[in-house]
Amino acid sequence: MKKQSRFVAGAVAVLGVIGYLMVTGMRDSMVYYFTPDELAAKVHADPTMHEVGVKVGGRVVPGTVVFDQRTLDLRFTITDIASGRTRFPVHYHGPLPDTFKEGRDVVAEGQLTAGGTFEAATVLTKCGSRYEGMQQQGGGGPS
Amino acid sequence: MTQIGEIALWVALLVGAWGATLAFVGGRTGRGDLVLSAERSVWVVFALLATTAGAIISAFLHDEFRYEYVTGHSNRELPFFYKVTGLWAGQTGSLVFWSLLLALFSSIVVFQNRRRNREFMPYVTGTLLVVLVFFLTVIVTQSNPFTTLDFTPTDGRGLNPQLQNYWMTIHPPALYLGFTCFTIPFAFCVSALLSGRLDTRWITTTRRWTLVAWFFLTIGIIFGMMWAYVELGWGGFWFWDPVENASLLPWLTGTAFVHSVMIQEKRGMLKMWNVLLMMSTFLLSIFATFLTRSGLIESVHSFAQNLPIAYTFLAFLGVMVVGTAGLVWWRRDRLAPESRLESFLSREAAFLLNNLLFVAAMFAVLWGTMFPLISEGVSGHKITVGPPFFNRVNIPIGLLLLALLGIGPVIAWRKATARNLRRNFTLPVSVALVVGTVLLATGVRHVYALLTFVLASFTMTTVVVEFWKGTRARARIEGEGAAVALIHLVQRNRRRYGGYIVHAGLVVLFCGLAGKAFGTEKEVALSPGEWVDIRSAWGHTYRLTYQDMSWYTAPNMTKLVASMDVRIDGRRAGVMASEKRSYRQREEVVSEVGIRRAWNEDLYVILAGIEDMDGVVRGTNPRPLATFHILVNPLVPWIWLGGLIMAIGTLTALWPSAEAPPRVRAPRLSAGARPARVPEPELVEA
Repeated sequence: MKKQSRFVAGAVAVLGVIGYLMVTGMRDSMVYYFTPDELAAKVHADPTMHEVGVKVGGRVVPGTVVFDQRTLDLRFTITDIASGRTRFPVHYHGPLPDTFKEGRDVVAEGQLTAGGTFEAATVLTKCGSRYEGMQQQGGGGPS
Repeated sequence: MTQIGEIALWVALLVGAWGATLAFVGGRTGRGDLVLSAERSVWVVFALLATTAGAIISAFLHDEFRYEYVTGHSNRELPFFYKVTGLWAGQTGSLVFWSLLLALFSSIVVFQNRRRNREFMPYVTGTLLVVLVFFLTVIVTQSNPFTTLDFTPTDGRGLNPQLQNYWMTIHPPALYLGFTCFTIPFAFCVSALLSGRLDTRWITTTRRWTLVAWFFLTIGIIFGMMWAYVELGWGGFWFWDPVENASLLPWLTGTAFVHSVMIQEKRGMLKMWNVLLMMSTFLLSIFATFLTRSGLIESVHSFAQNLPIAYTFLAFLGVMVVGTAGLVWWRRDRLAPESRLESFLSREAAFLLNNLLFVAAMFAVLWGTMFPLISEGVSGHKITVGPPFFNRVNIPIGLLLLALLGIGPVIAWRKATARNLRRNFTLPVSVALVVGTVLLATGVRHVYALLTFVLASFTMTTVVVEFWKGTRARARIEGEGAAVALIHLVQRNRRRYGGYIVHAGLVVLFCGLAGKAFGTEKEVALSPGEWVDIRSAWGHTYRLTYQDMSWYTAPNMTKLVASMDVRIDGRRAGVMASEKRSYRQREEVVSEVGIRRAWNEDLYVILAGIEDMDGVVRGTNPRPLATFHILVNPLVPWIWLGGLIMAIGTLTALWPSAEAPPRVRAPRLSAGARPARVPEPELVEA
């Protein structure tokens, strides 16, 4: 029986190491996901939130998209999908994401600076929603 | 005509429900006639679903845009091929496709087992039909492909451009084949628990199904990576996206299962564990289908909220989890191990560690994937975890597995002696040390990459030595030439050597992944005639000269093509094209990357931006400024090569043996006979 408990201890040790990696990994890569409304409220309540990297999911306001093909600077205004209230400008540097368009829903990851501009490190486009609305679009399960 | 498809769907649901009831009643009461009737209903369901699928494809081919599903995923100009594959281009169609595949496999199982495994078949049939009925219920109530619009549009809205890619047409079917195939061993597992026959029979009789499932899931995942690589255009192939993770989850438990059953067969251990692994694999397959289809968790690719379906799937999963857990608890006494672990230095211990790591990886991936939902439920805030989390946990696990890949197959059962260790590991360890020293000397400092190459060389050596030893022994005993001996060696032990080939493929794949550490990239804006240099990790330099921009119309789209002249260290090396495609029907622009593939690296060019795109098409601006994102991706081709080797290895293990075991004929089950009393032909295997 003593031997068996040694094996259990071995397994627990392995799981412990993996658990440690998970906990520290979580600390390094946890990112809050906000809607523009929530983010505005957060920053208002706690100005240190300007320094914290967050993800924000919102809609690209039509008519605000400016993309410089030479410098690859993308600027647009994002707004809350549900309420349409909060708006702030977003700046991103890099190739225009393929399905990026006015009126599309996007998720930007970055920081809302004290100047009020959201400096995005990544911009992801949610595809398909424009056509299918809330209804569907499995998109063939690209996985 | 298309209406027939919808009628068939409803009839299939009714027949399926009827058959499931008959199967379980027949199993409980031992009435063979009911069981036979249930088995026939499986065939009927398959025929009906084939009709449904045929009707959907016909609706696509005939441009019947009054169907919402057709309108949403096709248009008149769409190439024939994509119209046919429209069956699985969206949620509703792919649920039909899923059910069709499951019905097909269920029919094959019923046919294969018409004379054998009779004590299993009532519950196997019942379980398969229950799963089918669930899918059919979801389809007819919440996701009907035959939903019509109030009017008939003149043209469809077209297929999502990112899905107009050949990988996309085979990647979902491959994954679905994998998911559905796992339902077969799961059904035998449930049946073993219900009937109480808990020896290794349910495992051995479904071994081939498990391997087929594993094969398709593996290539499905790799096809998905290829799709991401050529179509998503950011130079990577794995994003730790929820939908990608979802397909990885059943792969991890399925791989653990393929290994742990060997322990049960050899040593009678891990019976309970194997049952649990098979159940998790099936449940995770359903979970993956559901996650892909429901958009419950945000994902880059498929995206939409379809909450009623999400709740239906969650409810089904919940019932299945509780039901299967209850079954295992009920039968826990019969799942006790026959022997115990004796030493850390044994094959059993290596396999156990392998299983522990696979399951831990599964939990880590599941946790990271579900965390946005969990955190929202607990704290009210959605918190996402990114790739750093997944890499941090899974890279060390992957490296340990890479080492086990070399240790497991050659270490002795029960307890390894010092002599066994010396004999098997002296050469591989020496090779690994030499490789490590050479890499350090050439300036490789990336710890994970270094470890990968060292462990890969260790494992590869053990595999090569195994083949070498086997071939030499056979050549000596049988007096055959080396090549003939090698072929015969593999033929006689397909499962073992097929497994080694899979291992070798995985080693190659791991090296390909490690190559990412040495990638270089650049982003430049160029006018025609201007050039840019980019260095490769191998030491040479690419010079890319932007020549010109051309445009032309193709079916369904307008293409803008930037051509670049490529030179390697001054030598001409051809021309590369990278494109922007503007899809007319969807008013969407998609980048089509240019890839120059060599055996050791890819040169990857993304046409990131074109100044004044309209001017190019109108002809007012024939020489536009363009922005390029250029990457050199070392060893990426090895990932695909490794995948190919893995596929070949799995097929080797799967291929029917040349010398078939003598067939034992079992008496045909006559109506009314109690299934449990039919003598069992032990030698015949699926």
